[in-house]
Amino acid sequence: MTTRLAARIARRELRGGLTGFRIFLLCLALGVAAIAAVGTLRAAIQSGLEDQGAALLGGDAQMEFTYRFADAEELAFMDRTATRRSEVVDFRSMAVIADDSALTQIKAVDANYPLYGTVTLDPPIPLADALATKGGLPGAALDPVLIARLSLNIGDTFTLGTQTFRLTAAVIREPDSSGGFTLGPRTIIRTDALAASGLLAPGSLYETEYRLALPPGTNLQQLEDQAKATFREKGMSWSDSRRAAPGIDEFVDRIGSFLVLVGLAGLAVGGVGISAAVRSYLDGKIATIATLKTIGAEGRLIFRIYLFQILVLAGIGIVAGLILGAGIPMLFSPIIEAQLPFPADIALAPMPLIEAAFYGLITALLFTLWPLARTETVRAAALYRGGDGQRARPRGIYIAALLGLALILVGGSVYLSGIPELALGAAGGILGSLLVLALTAYGMRRLARRTARSGLTRGRVPLRLALGSIGGARSEATSVILSLGLGLSVLAAVGQIDSNLRNSIEQDLPERAPAFFFVDIQPDQIDPFLASMANNPAVTKVDSAPMLRGVVTMINGKPATEVTDHWVVRGDRGLTYADTPPEGTKITAGKWWPEGYTGDPQVSFAAEEAAEIGLKLGDTITVNILGRDITATITSFRDVNFSTAGIGFVMSLNAAALQGAPHTFISTVYAPPEAEGQLLKDVTKTWTNITAIRIREAIDRVTEALGAIATATAWAAAATLLTGFVVLIGAAAAGERARVYEAAILKTLGATRGRILASFALRSALMGAAAGSVAVIAGAIAGWAVMTFVMDATYRFEPVSAFAIVIGGILATLLAGLAFALRPLSARPAQVLRTQD
Amino acid sequence: MTDPILVLTDARLTLQGNAGPVNILKGISLSISRGESVGLVGPSGSGKSSLLMLMGGLERASGGSVMALGQDLTAMDEDALARFRRGNMGVVFQSFHLIPTMTALENVALPMELANVTDAFARAEAELVAVGLGPRLHHYPSQLSGGEQQRVALARAAAPRPAILLADEPTGNLDGVNGQAIMDLLFGLRDQHGATLVLVTHSAELAARCDRVVRLADGNLAPELKAAAE
Repeated sequence: MTTRLAARIARRELRGGLTGFRIFLLCLALGVAAIAAVGTLRAAIQSGLEDQGAALLGGDAQMEFTYRFADAEELAFMDRTATRRSEVVDFRSMAVIADDSALTQIKAVDANYPLYGTVTLDPPIPLADALATKGGLPGAALDPVLIARLSLNIGDTFTLGTQTFRLTAAVIREPDSSGGFTLGPRTIIRTDALAASGLLAPGSLYETEYRLALPPGTNLQQLEDQAKATFREKGMSWSDSRRAAPGIDEFVDRIGSFLVLVGLAGLAVGGVGISAAVRSYLDGKIATIATLKTIGAEGRLIFRIYLFQILVLAGIGIVAGLILGAGIPMLFSPIIEAQLPFPADIALAPMPLIEAAFYGLITALLFTLWPLARTETVRAAALYRGGDGQRARPRGIYIAALLGLALILVGGSVYLSGIPELALGAAGGILGSLLVLALTAYGMRRLARRTARSGLTRGRVPLRLALGSIGGARSEATSVILSLGLGLSVLAAVGQIDSNLRNSIEQDLPERAPAFFFVDIQPDQIDPFLASMANNPAVTKVDSAPMLRGVVTMINGKPATEVTDHWVVRGDRGLTYADTPPEGTKITAGKWWPEGYTGDPQVSFAAEEAAEIGLKLGDTITVNILGRDITATITSFRDVNFSTAGIGFVMSLNAAALQGAPHTFISTVYAPPEAEGQLLKDVTKTWTNITAIRIREAIDRVTEALGAIATATAWAAAATLLTGFVVLIGAAAAGERARVYEAAILKTLGATRGRILASFALRSALMGAAAGSVAVIAGAIAGWAVMTFVMDATYRFEPVSAFAIVIGGILATLLAGLAFALRPLSARPAQVLRTQD
Repeated sequence: MTDPILVLTDARLTLQGNAGPVNILKGISLSISRGESVGLVGPSGSGKSSLLMLMGGLERASGGSVMALGQDLTAMDEDALARFRRGNMGVVFQSFHLIPTMTALENVALPMELANVTDAFARAEAELVAVGLGPRLHHYPSQLSGGEQQRVALARAAAPRPAILLADEPTGNLDGVNGQAIMDLLFGLRDQHGATLVLVTHSAELAARCDRVVRLADGNLAPELKAAAE
């Protein structure tokens, strides 16, 4: 009965319409929309990857080998199971013209390529024609970026290694390119054209991928198990169309989860607005509540009446948010799908919408429960005594419910995001920021009250008025500082992280980093190469090391992937050998093998990675190199610093263990930027097979990739800030009536409009500055935490973005505050004061 | 006096003001019989309204006791007081305090709905017709004049047939004609249903219509009437 009665009364109460709830609905809808949009896009990409799995992979399944081609046994297995097979060789090299050269990622293919889909070229000719040999010169199709970089025209020639190729077309789209990160733009050629290039010499860094077209209905899991059981120990890695692009899948999943967390921060900002809106609505309802009490309504009934109303409103806000969040991506799907580097299939996806609705509902309840619970404590005496009549704290059960809701929200985000550490960190950050902001607002109000009463403001009327209203009973300071502060905190954190990352890549790294990585230096070339470098006066330092690639297959005799999922055991790794510890080696535990050691293989492992995997001295590591297993005992740990872009290998074996295996050398060369061009020419002219990776160009590629992530994050942060601004507008609008009254009295007492405006502006600026300052501190802490614990890099406070945040905060509150100053300034005092009587 | 329905013994009310505690009522002892009408008079700030609120359980006494219908109001919590008021007390305020989002009919039916009265709306309608608002049943408070609003408030207070009617300057916001009409209605309802009426008023004329007048001054019963009140 009580529930039905509550619902009936609530329905009558809602007849007043939704006018008082615009801010409530906007805040909730914006927050839900941001999360729903991110979720819809994530689902779209995942479904796109699933649908086009085979085309993306280039086959129903793929067997991949590092450093070598498949042997007869492996080829026989493929031919037994597949209806068609295509071989692709993938490696980096230099495309060279008369006086220039550029790094390129070569894809050498056979006649069966591509098994699925087609390669789009410009001019639109078939791939077979583009790659055909004409006039003794094999054809090649190049990425337009590479064509522009080398200023080539169709029909021009260039060399790869010692083989000359003819440019026949630009590659517009490869069906099996999923937009993964590569250092060099693409070149497509025929594998047999490489025979005379000298590029695939033993030890060169290349990968072979065998794409298989399987009969319909093939059990992929069974086939994978079979292939792995037979060939994994020979260094084969398997992928199939079920997860064609695990890298992208994981990347999209993580970025999506991260953006949902940013969206949650937006929802928390909105929560502040929701709470303020409900508080102000219920303040206006005190007479009604007291009347209800007078005629016999119990506190519980009153709570339910208003809970019903909030649930109905939350429902409206959430549905609006879901329509917006799912609708915008669908509406703009052609544009979005064209912009994304991977396939996306934008459609109505229920799961992300359920997730967004869950977050919306819990947030709405979390931020309204406190004011709702306080309706119980409104006393009937409020009717004749005035005031709000509700100073008591809500009952314990409501406080317990609040904590429960907070736990459900945090638990939900931890579970749904799939990145528990980041979700917990974000939740902690949001809660911590809210707490600090609430304390700041409280402190600011107290300080404002005291200062307004002190002698300091004597003679400074605008200041005293501003401080008086910040410290006053109906001050909007708390909701302004909370909402704007939280919105700016997210933006400040993004700004700090972004500029720190950019700085560490663009400024710090090149100072310490070499100018070039030279790879694929054959053993007989290393001595002349080093001699040439030594004779070059521009070269300040050269480091070199032998390099092989292998897959860690076993740890202490157990399959490595069962022991850990650390990046070291995922895919193939570079490894090196040395007889004596290279200069500057710092052994942290154990002992390096004696010089000239020829006994059982020993390995020195990178200390940090070893600790992460849980390795200890005496453990054994089995590495598969070119199909051969080498098992070595860990006899020492050493410090390896990957952040300087110098040569760093996780594993270094004793020389005798690997010297016999085919390998090449890697060399880092340090030289000033102005000498880089000539150095590159000298090396690529003399040794055509050597690949040069210019660090400066590589950094540009990394920065580009990072820029895309930063842009996505900035969009999500902008949604947060937009919500914050809505809350600001709401707070300013809520204070308008009080300000009209205040301005009327001031005018009666002789204050000019200029003075009144100055007081309003001062009040807004003070609140904005407080919110901005807290945001800078919160952003710096978040930036430090992410740089230190997630990026493993050093953090440096970035004053420019921080300064911009404070200024932005002041401007935003000024804008919102002054937008609502017009009516107070223009109202005629007599009108206002007569109404007030 | 026989059959006391409201008994206050040394009732005190102290409120916390900005400058410290303020003693509003300083030990009121008063007994009101069933069916009696009592006018509470006194200058502004003497504590009339506060005394009325103590009687209705809308304000909690800081000391002493307030017994209504044999029950100690000071021992009840807010919810128990709310339940007690259903059907036992009707309150009319100077500024009406109708719920703006409800029609006249819904406002009057509400206390009976709260008391689970099955024919709440039929009774509410009859009550509104009785106060002359038959054609105004579905109007919202904002669509009614002050006099009409007060009649709705009166109907709301009287509809559940409470044993006690409390009225806090019910004509204070009305002009002479409307005020007179409301008072006629109020006394008419009281005569019709035999309710006890306690009325706060500034009007000597109104007070004179009551069976007894209790005068307050500075939170105390005024000396000249104190003996009669007890």
